[in-house]
Amino acid sequence: MKITFALFAALTLAASAFAVEVGKTAPDFIGTDINGKTVKLSDYKGKIVVIESYNSDCPFCNNQYKTGAMQDLQKDLAAKGVVWLLVNSVNPKNFSHRTPDQAKQEIADKKIVANAWIDDSSGAIGHLYEMKTTPHMFVIAKDGTLVYDGAIDNQSDPFHDPRTANNYVRDAVNDLLAGKPIEISQSKPYGCAVHYAD
Amino acid sequence: MLSVLLGLAALTAQAAHTQVELLLSAAAAKPGDTIWAAVDMKMEPGWHTYWKNPGEAGIATAIKWQLPPGVTAGEIQWPLPKKIPPAEVTTYGYTNEVMLLVPLTLASNLSAGPIDLKGNVSWLECKDVCIPANQDVEEKLNIGSEAKTSADATKIDAWNKKVPQTNAFYQFQAWWESTTNDMRPFVMSNGRGGADKNIKFDSVDFFPDVSDQFEVQAPTVVLSAYSAEIRLRKSIKKYSGDWPKEITGVLVLQAGDSREGFEIKMHVADKAPAGETISATESLPPVSPAPPLWQMLLYAFIGGLILNIMPCVLPVIALKILGFVREAHSEPRRVRNLGLIYALGVLVSFLALAAVVIGVKSAGHHAGWGMQFGSPIFIVCLTTLVTLVALNLFGVFEVAPGGRALDAAGELAAKPGTPGAFFNGVLATALATPCTAPFLAPALGFAFSQSVATIILIFLTVGLGLASPYVLLSWNPAWLKFLPKPGAWMEKFKIAMGFPMLATVVWLLNIATASYGKNVLWLGVFLVIVAFAAWVFGDFFQRGRKHKGIALALVFLLFSSGYFFVLEKELNWRKAMPEADATGSLKESADGIDWQRWSPEAVAAARAAGKPVLVDFTADWCLTCQVNKGTSIEIPSVRAKLKEINAVAFTGDYTHTPDIITKELNRYNRAGVPLVLVYPRNPDAEAIVLPEVLTPGIVLNALDRAAH
Repeated sequence: MKITFALFAALTLAASAFAVEVGKTAPDFIGTDINGKTVKLSDYKGKIVVIESYNSDCPFCNNQYKTGAMQDLQKDLAAKGVVWLLVNSVNPKNFSHRTPDQAKQEIADKKIVANAWIDDSSGAIGHLYEMKTTPHMFVIAKDGTLVYDGAIDNQSDPFHDPRTANNYVRDAVNDLLAGKPIEISQSKPYGCAVHYAD
Repeated sequence: MLSVLLGLAALTAQAAHTQVELLLSAAAAKPGDTIWAAVDMKMEPGWHTYWKNPGEAGIATAIKWQLPPGVTAGEIQWPLPKKIPPAEVTTYGYTNEVMLLVPLTLASNLSAGPIDLKGNVSWLECKDVCIPANQDVEEKLNIGSEAKTSADATKIDAWNKKVPQTNAFYQFQAWWESTTNDMRPFVMSNGRGGADKNIKFDSVDFFPDVSDQFEVQAPTVVLSAYSAEIRLRKSIKKYSGDWPKEITGVLVLQAGDSREGFEIKMHVADKAPAGETISATESLPPVSPAPPLWQMLLYAFIGGLILNIMPCVLPVIALKILGFVREAHSEPRRVRNLGLIYALGVLVSFLALAAVVIGVKSAGHHAGWGMQFGSPIFIVCLTTLVTLVALNLFGVFEVAPGGRALDAAGELAAKPGTPGAFFNGVLATALATPCTAPFLAPALGFAFSQSVATIILIFLTVGLGLASPYVLLSWNPAWLKFLPKPGAWMEKFKIAMGFPMLATVVWLLNIATASYGKNVLWLGVFLVIVAFAAWVFGDFFQRGRKHKGIALALVFLLFSSGYFFVLEKELNWRKAMPEADATGSLKESADGIDWQRWSPEAVAAARAAGKPVLVDFTADWCLTCQVNKGTSIEIPSVRAKLKEINAVAFTGDYTHTPDIITKELNRYNRAGVPLVLVYPRNPDAEAIVLPEVLTPGIVLNALDRAAH
């Protein structure tokens, strides 16, 4: 009977762990960064983690980087001890896919401030987190709870300076650090579709 | 190099993959007129632009007008878009070409002469990459005392017809199916019966309007696609604020080549309207809303229990009884453990089945229960397996070394071993699947439209039902005292039980005929070789004293030559013959029912001719279907009734699980056969769905109702 129960428990756990839901524990994942290093979400327990679904060829992402708005946010949050994980789920056949060398170059060129650029060309992490667009942002609290899932800001166009917009990620992290409830914990992500492998 | 090019493309509209042009419906207009301005967007192959609700990604095309005083632009009228894959990020948009239409109102005091109409169109175009682009457009219009249409007017008019309109016929209501935290399913329906004609649409969908606070998710479950009752299940993800009380969007209907959209607005009620719950249990509606999960799990459990006494499990029950007798006299702890291992075997098999269903489901196929029996490879493997079981029962060879102790069962407490119990569980499952017992069918029908977690849960519950009597008995060994005492009769009984197994093999061979035709002879030859190999294995390897190695080598030689020469070369077992496409009557005897081959068109034609219709979906591997046919359909009273009411009878063969029948089964919330339908004489009336297990009374009664 024990075995049966264990089997049941494992299955139901596995099923529930698949769902990304604000207020629940963010699903753990293991990825490989562009330096070949293994990145495990649960290793960052005790720190606030921001996950960014990234593709700089997408004009919505590009607008965040070319204006410097995203780098400013990354720098500000890094100074506050926040971990920033960049997830690139573009499939290897797509033009926007980056090899590790190209990715390193891009980090240098764009002055990206992130703890890791995770090569997710299989789409495993993207699908796990149901990443719809680039950029699609997630904020995870120190205890591993997902506290924000959605757009980077409230200005869903690729032309205006993002610094004039209301940045949901900055607000969520500030609310967390101030110990306040998260004012906006969900929004509709906007941007380009993630170019997953078929 | 390429990146440079694309970088340039992103910055300059000229290099865009979409050509944009402003067209006007009029060459000249009078003050006070309203004319159409059309932004014509032509996209290169593979590229798309977006609808007013772009969906899960993308951005809607926008127009910024620079119009002279006295000219006012209205809202963009959007032609019906289409869903753009992939499924994980579904968007709504246009490919090839679209005209976005804008009404321009000219003030009545507008002075005569040419005016310049200018605008800036901005859009996002995507293929493997997304590129934002914008372009200035400009057109001249003459204001005068005469109105004159332009050369583009016809084309603009054609696009105007593609803009969804409201239609009084499509009045929808919606209600929440459950009230969960983040994501809520709802059902939308246009009520029932309001139509004068009952058309079946090829596809029905709902494209929602955009909202910041919530998003109607892209996947749609079609519950009913009849014009008299369109019913869809969608779900909403909420981002902020309260749950919406009203949902607006476009109903998309397709029949053949014609595809139309209708603007609809519906109120979302907290629960289903009263009439809906009644109709779910009464008057056999074509599609009933799915019952709650606990009820489905209960049915699944009861269905699993019933599987224990279904004809196709009976031979295995014999195996199990043997096991009981043997184990009742060994230590209770061991009995309990074996009971649990048996249960585990059942559960693991059901998990494997669930995995297959999930796999098939995600592969986009319409899976049907019992479908594994439609696969010839599966049938060959199962036939071989059951043959080996029969030979084992005859004592030709043993499954586990030491199993021979059974011969002296009276003196020894047999230790049948863990693999035996596990294998029993697996075999019970494999044989049980085609018996879609009455309680099981709705549960599985429900499972096919559910999430992965629910499918797993339902399959496991069926497995628990199948295993529970055995587990219960092994847990309370006291009840086993009622079982007969072991003795020499047991060995005879065991051998006797080999014959039902042989009967099963014959039945399986009969099924295999459908896939291999006369070549099934070679399957028989293979079975004889396997039987010979089993004997060599049992008598010379297991029980022999000398030359064991030679015996084993011979067994391998027999198996491999049997496999390569018979199965691969002669039978070509992995490539079954395609099903013969016979037409005309499928009469089984001279005075039998004049069965016609089922197709949706044939049924429609017979109904149009004002005839009642009987449809029997069946399969060679479906025993319940054969029983139904023998006891309640192919009988004199039903034959006479069919003639009396001048009905047409159709039979649909689900042996090889053709997609078209799977679709029809799913429409009636069934995951497998049997499914028997009776269509009334009145072509507008819904089909009467007969229960899974039939009696002559049920069939005759339904035919009587159909005749009126």
